[in-house]
Amino acid sequence: MLDALVAALAGIIAGVAVTLLVVRVRAGRIPSVAPVRPAAPGPYEDDRTQRVLGAFPFAAFLIDSAGIVRYVNEVAEELFEIQAQRAIGQALIAVVPSVAMERQAISAIGGETSEQDVTIGDFARERTLGITAHPFEGGAVLVAADRTALLAIEHVRREFVANVSHELRTPLSAIKLMLETVLISDDDAEARTLFLPQIAREVDRMIRLVEDLLELARSESGNLLLRREVFDLTDVATAVVNTFAQRSIAAGVELDLEAPEEVFVDADRNRITQVALNLLDNALRHTPTGGSVTVEIASEGSNALLRVRDTGRGIPYHDLPHIFERFYVVDRSRSREHTGTGLGLSIARHLVEAHGGTLTAYSVYGRGATFVCRLPRVEKPPTEQNATSTPIFS
Amino acid sequence: MRASVLRLGALCLDSVRSASRALDRQNVAVAARVIAGDDEIKALWRSVEAGCIEMIWKQQPVANELREIAGMLQIVNDLGRIGERAVEIAKATIKLADVAKKPALGEVDAMAGLAVEMLANAIRAYDQGSLDLADKVIQRADDIDDHHRLGIATLGSEMEADATVVAAGTILLFVLADLERVADLAQNIAWKTKDIYPL
Repeated sequence: MLDALVAALAGIIAGVAVTLLVVRVRAGRIPSVAPVRPAAPGPYEDDRTQRVLGAFPFAAFLIDSAGIVRYVNEVAEELFEIQAQRAIGQALIAVVPSVAMERQAISAIGGETSEQDVTIGDFARERTLGITAHPFEGGAVLVAADRTALLAIEHVRREFVANVSHELRTPLSAIKLMLETVLISDDDAEARTLFLPQIAREVDRMIRLVEDLLELARSESGNLLLRREVFDLTDVATAVVNTFAQRSIAAGVELDLEAPEEVFVDADRNRITQVALNLLDNALRHTPTGGSVTVEIASEGSNALLRVRDTGRGIPYHDLPHIFERFYVVDRSRSREHTGTGLGLSIARHLVEAHGGTLTAYSVYGRGATFVCRLPRVEKPPTEQNATSTPIFS
Repeated sequence: MRASVLRLGALCLDSVRSASRALDRQNVAVAARVIAGDDEIKALWRSVEAGCIEMIWKQQPVANELREIAGMLQIVNDLGRIGERAVEIAKATIKLADVAKKPALGEVDAMAGLAVEMLANAIRAYDQGSLDLADKVIQRADDIDDHHRLGIATLGSEMEADATVVAAGTILLFVLADLERVADLAQNIAWKTKDIYPL
């Protein structure tokens, strides 16, 4: 009697367990969700085909006649940030979120070869890919070449030529106009006293630009001559802060120097001064009245640090990687208000790198920017006598 | 059906990205293409919706299946609304085409960058069932608010300083609102992804 009851109970429990199992299996996935194909070895799984595509320097996909991804090479895994395991057996659109690419795959399955540029990713990781789709064994083979860097170089080159011509042209037109006025107004003293100084100023501006360009070319080619000496970075910072003291008062911006210790570097004093001048000039230019700019000298491990921090508008994060490019202007709508040549930061970075250091920018948009220049630190020279007091401006 | 949702996601992401880029670079041709692409988004949105409803009455799904289908319905709705916003931004680009001075374009572009990033991550989170990515989108809520506030403040001060930019500024105010909405809807998608794939 009891045995029978136990047996019946066991039966019920088993039954419930089976039902639960069935429910679990059913609840797993709806059939149309992820079409996982049985891996029937076909032309797509052919070892030789896959080895050839695996050796490609470009991203490659094999798509079967139903539009399902059957093979992904390593370059594709890297470029599209996917994993082959996850991608294989999925529809192409679930692997690469690009309708343009899916359309190419569909037309290739239909026997049509196509080639076009496709943009993927968000602003910060935007990539332009040259996609070629070819029919292959009833399906398609898709090859993607990353053209982002190439297009960026092309863009920089075009901008550079346009900018240089524009920057040289503007003062030239002014000079020509004023010179003509002086020439036709024979011996008019007023015209001369009015225009000649202006002509001189415009010529100076052109000379500055050409010098900047030459400097950039020199530092980029690695032919920069450095007159190295051991000096305290604080001295340079003090001198630079002094230079800008007047301007910061006029602009209503608080300018501070924080230099709690002596930090020595073996570098070209003039070049480092030039870098500091540039960073501070930028910071003051982009900080509104009532804001503050802080210059800090510190040591960090084996590095000497020169940090320039401002409370200005900051740099949008997708512009951040580009600000050291020649003529890169973050806000084009404001660029004409300022008088910079657009080469300053580029030159500064090259100068710092020529010293074996780094120049980095940090910014949270709307909350100011910080530029950090790191240089290899050296020990204080034993014979030198340094001034002990460091004036701090506020 | 899932592939269709992802396809719709890809289309909407492309629309928002192209529309924002078109605004920043003043490219009217790209903006026009975004507006023309709206029909495709609408058609796909309808067809996914109809497909989901058909699946509900034909297959009477329960538990996970039902949750997944219900989630899809909501997500395509969010995506469709995002597509609408992209069209609004594209229209603003065309309206602003002949305006020389545009205030706070940098701020608008920065906000667009963040909104596009959130949308891209939200779609990826749904595709991969990744709760980490979904959380990453949700955590950006404060950042997008900061950008929105800063954008409005900058527009305000620039319009005060220069009356000639007021017309363009008003249009850009609407663009900021559109972008805020896109980010908001991207967060919705992230939340629904978390509903579909509970731990």
